[in-house]
Amino acid sequence: MTAATDLRPAAGAERARRRAGAGPARHFRRQWQLWVMVAPAIAFVAVFAYVPMYGLQLAFREFDFAAGLAGGDWVGLKYFRQFFESPQFWTLIRNTVVISVSTLVVGFIAPIALALLVNQVLGRRRKQFLQTATYLPHFISVVVIVGMLQVFLSPSSGLITRFVGLFGVEGANFLGSATAFVPVYVISDVWQHAGWNSIIYLAALAGVSPQLYEAARIDGAGRFSIIRHIDVPALAPTMIVLLILNMGQVLNTGFEKIFLMQNPLNLEVSEVIATYVYKIGILSNQFSYATAIGLFNTLINFAFLVVANQIAKRVSNTSLW
Amino acid sequence: MTRPFAALRRDTPGDIAFKVLLGLGCALVLFTALYPIYFVVIASVSDPAMVSTGQVWLVPRDLSWFGYEQILADERIWNGYRNTLVYALVGTALNLLVTMPAAFALSRREFRPRRVLMFFFAFTMFFSGGLIPMYLLLRDLSLLDNWLVFVLPSAVNVFNLIIARSFFEHSLPEELHEAASIDGANYFQFFLKIALPLSMPILSVIGLYYLVQHWNDFFTGLVFVRDYDLQPLQIVLRDILISNQAFSGGAGGAGGAGAGGYAQQYADQIKYGVIVVSTLPVIILYPFLQRYFEKGVMIGAVKG
Amino acid sequence: MLTTPKRRGPAALATLASAALLLSACGGGGGDSDALQILVVKHPLTGPMEDMGWVAAIEDAAGVPVEWEEVSADWDQKKSTMLAAGDIPDLIVGTNAVTDADAVTFTGLFEDLSDDMDALPNVQAMFEAVPETELMATRPDGEVFSLPSYRRFWPQTATRQYVNQQWLDNLGLEQPTTWDELHEVLLAFKDEDANGNGDPDDEIPVDWSPAGETGFGYFQPTVFLGSLGLPTTNGGGSGYFVEDGRVGNFLTDPRYMELVSFLHDLYADGLVSQEVMTQDYSTYQSVGRGDGDTAKVGFSWGWTASDRFGPQIADQYAPIAPLAADASMSAADLAWTYDSYSLNYGLNTITMSAQSEKKDAALKVIDAFYDQDLSLQALWGEFGQNIEDLGNGAYTVLPPADETLDSSSWKWTTTLADNSPGWIRDDIEVTLPVDIQEAVEDEAPLTDALANIDPATDIWPGELIKMGAEDSSRLSLLHTDLLGQAMQRWATWITEGGVESEWDSYVEEMEGLGLTEAVEIHQRYYDEYRASLE
Repeated sequence: MTAATDLRPAAGAERARRRAGAGPARHFRRQWQLWVMVAPAIAFVAVFAYVPMYGLQLAFREFDFAAGLAGGDWVGLKYFRQFFESPQFWTLIRNTVVISVSTLVVGFIAPIALALLVNQVLGRRRKQFLQTATYLPHFISVVVIVGMLQVFLSPSSGLITRFVGLFGVEGANFLGSATAFVPVYVISDVWQHAGWNSIIYLAALAGVSPQLYEAARIDGAGRFSIIRHIDVPALAPTMIVLLILNMGQVLNTGFEKIFLMQNPLNLEVSEVIATYVYKIGILSNQFSYATAIGLFNTLINFAFLVVANQIAKRVSNTSLW
Repeated sequence: MTRPFAALRRDTPGDIAFKVLLGLGCALVLFTALYPIYFVVIASVSDPAMVSTGQVWLVPRDLSWFGYEQILADERIWNGYRNTLVYALVGTALNLLVTMPAAFALSRREFRPRRVLMFFFAFTMFFSGGLIPMYLLLRDLSLLDNWLVFVLPSAVNVFNLIIARSFFEHSLPEELHEAASIDGANYFQFFLKIALPLSMPILSVIGLYYLVQHWNDFFTGLVFVRDYDLQPLQIVLRDILISNQAFSGGAGGAGGAGAGGYAQQYADQIKYGVIVVSTLPVIILYPFLQRYFEKGVMIGAVKG
Repeated sequence: MLTTPKRRGPAALATLASAALLLSACGGGGGDSDALQILVVKHPLTGPMEDMGWVAAIEDAAGVPVEWEEVSADWDQKKSTMLAAGDIPDLIVGTNAVTDADAVTFTGLFEDLSDDMDALPNVQAMFEAVPETELMATRPDGEVFSLPSYRRFWPQTATRQYVNQQWLDNLGLEQPTTWDELHEVLLAFKDEDANGNGDPDDEIPVDWSPAGETGFGYFQPTVFLGSLGLPTTNGGGSGYFVEDGRVGNFLTDPRYMELVSFLHDLYADGLVSQEVMTQDYSTYQSVGRGDGDTAKVGFSWGWTASDRFGPQIADQYAPIAPLAADASMSAADLAWTYDSYSLNYGLNTITMSAQSEKKDAALKVIDAFYDQDLSLQALWGEFGQNIEDLGNGAYTVLPPADETLDSSSWKWTTTLADNSPGWIRDDIEVTLPVDIQEAVEDEAPLTDALANIDPATDIWPGELIKMGAEDSSRLSLLHTDLLGQAMQRWATWITEGGVESEWDSYVEEMEGLGLTEAVEIHQRYYDEYRASLE
C-alpha cells in the first residue's frame, strides 16, 4: 500500500504549495477559476443536503405535529437513553456489526480480486463479455434476490441444498438457521455486487502504462509478480479511498434484504438496528425515536470515518480531506 | 487492448500454472454470475408453480409468455420508459457537468480550501435531515410534482465526487500542468483540453454510476411525485408487480379473500419478467461505454 | 504531443443541463383548486375510479368537481411524509389508510367528525343500528377522526380447517377429532402413498401459513389453543385473550406450552412441512395447490378450499370441526379463533382533513358512502354490471362478467370492495357471491365451537378499543421486544424441542421484557370498555 505514495506527484505539490503564497486576494486572483468549477457542486449540496439538516434536532425533541418540526418540546437525550436502555441494545449492535463488517471485508476484497482476474484475460471481446456478465446481478432487485435464495436454498427442493446433499449434508435448512444467516447474506451480497464494484478498479487498471508491463517483462518478471508489483500498486489509491469510505459503514447494513430474509429461526442474529428501527419507529410513527437511533448510528459511523481518514493520512498520505 | 505478453515466447512453469488458474477462475466466475441470470430468464417464461417448487433449473418448463404479455400490455410502461430515459439522460448530463469540474478543482493540491471543502462534502454522506424537511424544502422550491425533482436534488453524489477526485489526483501527472501553464493555459483550458480527455475511463465509470442511479431511482417518484404522468419506469413496474402479487392477507386485511387465485399464480412470473424488462436497456448500454475505457491507455502514452 | 480532445461531449452536456435549468421555472404541482381532492387507497387489483359506475353518484353528492388520487402500492411510505408535512387532500378513503396511531400523532390534521354528525345522517343511523361501529369510531375523549364500515355478511372466522378426504378414503381412515387421532392420521399420510401417485415420500402431512416475527395471524396452528378451550382473535395476534373478565396473554400460558409441545411432536416425526418457518405466503399457497390433480398437503388451514388448494383439487378436501386436545375435553369447551370484528367491519375507512376548504362537499361525500345503495355498490360493484337490484330491499350479486376471473377477483377488480366505507343494512336481502357462500358453507363444522364464544366476554375485542397516544406507543415498544423473543422461541421449540425444560426461564424473561405491564394496560382499557357497555 505504501506504493501509493510513489504515484503521487509529491514534488509538484510541494512546489505548488510554495507558489500558492499568502493573502486571500492573491488566492482569488490565482485560483478564481477553481472556485468557479467547484461552486455549482457547493450550491447543490448546500441547498439539498445542508438546508434540510435542521430536521436532525427532532432527535432531541418530542415530535409535535401542531408545533412543527422544530417546535416540539426539548427532551434532550431521552430517546438516546431509551435506545441504550432497550433490552435489545447490545444484541442489535452485535448483529449489526457482525453483518456489516463481514460484508465490508469480503465485499472489499472480492471486487479487487475480480478486477485483477478480468484484467488478465486477453482479447477485447472475451474481456468485455466477462465484465458484462459479472456485473449483471447488480441489477436484480432485492425482492427477487431473496426469492431466488428461497428457491435455491429450499430444504426440500433447492438446487444448492441438493448439491451439498451430495457431500453428505442432508436436509440443510440454510434459510432457517442462525449460523447460516450471515454467510448466506454475505455471499449473496458479494455475488450480486462484486462485478459492479470492480468496474472502478478496472478503470484504474486501464490507466496503467503498457511501457511498465514491457519493462517488467524485459526484467523477466512472471505474471504473478507483475500483478503484485504493477497492478496492485495501480489500484492502491482507489483501494485506500474505498477502504476509508467503507470504514464509515460499520454500523450500516442494508435494510430491505435483511428484513426480507428474517424469520423466527434466524431472528437472534438477523435483527439489526435498521430492522428494529423500522419495526419500532416507522410502523408506529415514533419519529423522534427513529431520528435519534439514526443519528446515533451516523455518529458512530462518522467517528470511524474520521479515524480511518486520519490513519490513512499518516500511513499512506492519502485522505479524503 | 494492448497485449503486454504477446512477445513472450515460452511459458515458464509459473505462467502455465497461472493460465490454468486463470481459466478455472474465469469459468467459476462466469458460471456463478450467469447461472442465476439464466435462471431469471427461464423462470420468466416458465410455469410459476414449477419454479417455486424447484423443478425449473435447466430449461424452461411449461412455456408461458403470460408475464411478458401482462407487462407489455400495460400502456403506462411506455410512458414510464420515456420518462426514465429523459430523467436519466438529462440527470446524468447535469451530474457530470457539476461533478467533474468540482472533482478536478478539489484534486489541485495548490487549491488550499480543498480540505475544508472535502469535509463539507463528505459530511453530507453521513448526516441528513431526513425525509420530512426534504419534502418541505422541495415544496417550497415548487419541485413537488415537477420532473426536475428527478434531476436537481441528486445533482451531486459525493461518493462519485470523491472517486473522480482521487482519479484526477493520482492519474494526472503534475508535469502536464506545469507544461500547460508554461504554454499559458489557465485552469479552464487545462481542464477542458487536457485533464478531461485523459480521464475518459473515469468519466465513463462515473457516468455509468450516475446513469444507473437515475435508472433505478424509485424513491423520488414514490415520495415526491403524485402526478402519474411523471412517474418513471420503476414506479410503473412496481405497480404492475404489486397488482399481481399474492397477498399474505389472504382472507385477511378485511377479506382480501384469495384476491385472485389467478394473481397468486402469476406473481412470480411477472416478477422475473419485470427484471428482464427493466434491466435490458442498461445491460445493452454497457459495452458501448466500455469503449472509453481503452482511451485510458493514452494517459500511459503521455506519462511514458 | 497531445491529441486534440473532442469538445463535442462537454458542449452537449452544457446545453442539456442549461436547458434543464431553464425549464425548472415551468411545471410545478397544483391541479384544479376548485375540486374536492379525494385520495383512495385501493387494492392493487382494483381498476381506475373513472371506470366504476357508482362514482358518478358520489360526485353528484359532492356538488363540486372531484379529483381522485389513486394509490395502490407503498401507501405507508408515501403517507408518513405526506402527513408529517401536513400535505393531505380533503378526504382519504381506504381501510385503515389513516390509522389510530396517525390520528393521535398528527394532532389537528384531521377533522373531528363528532362535531359534524348533523351533516351525516346516514352515519348517525349506522351508529344507532350497529353500536359496534360507534365504538370503533370514537376515541376515549369522544373525538371521531375516522369512520368504520360494516359488511354484515362475512363469516365469523377467517381460518377454516381442512383435511384431504380423498387421502383418508384411500387409506381407509376416519376424520380425526382429537390431537392423538390427528397424529395417527398424519403418520399414515407420511408413511404411505396417500395421494396414490406411486411416490410414498412426496406427501406433506401438515402445513400452515408462515408466522412472522411480529405475532400470529390467520391459518396458523394457534387455532389449536381452542382445542384446550382458549378462544383467540384474528388467529392469535399478539396473544391477548380474556377469561372471566381478566385479560391475559397466552404466550406465557401453560396451554400454549402444551400446544408447542404437541407441535414439536409432530415436527419431530417429520409430519410438518420442513419449510413451515421460512416459506413465504406465496410458496405456502402454491405448494398447497399440488401438482395437477395430485394433492401434496394432507391437513391445513385456509379461507376456503378453492382459495387454499386451487379449484382443481379443492374437491378433495373436507372442512372439519375443531379437534379436542384429548378425549376428556367436552365439545362445549372447544373454542376457535373469532375474527368477526375484522371481517365484518373495516376500521378507519374514511378520514377528512381539518384544513379542508370544501367542508360541506366533503361531508356530503362521506355521508353518500353510507347510503344504502352506494354502500352495496362500493362493496360489490355497480348495479347492472355487478349487482341486480330486485326492489324491496332485495339484491343479487351477479357472477363475474369476465369468465376468466373468480368472483372474489372480479369484485376486487371492478370496485373498491372491502376498502370502501359503507354500511350494509341488516334488514336487506342479498344473494351472496359464490366466494362468500363457500366461506360460509365451509364454516359449518366450526359453528358449535364459535357458538361457545361470547364476543362480549370471551375475547380481547381489540377493534372496539381505542388507546391513548402514550399507551399505544408504549405498547408498540414492548411488543416489538416481546414478540421478537416469543416468535423466536416458538420457531425453535417446534423445530428443535425444549419447550418443557426452558419454559420457566422463558416466562421469567417475558416478564422482564414487560409482559405484565403490557397486560395491565390492556386490562385497564378492557375494564373501561366493559363499563361503557353497562
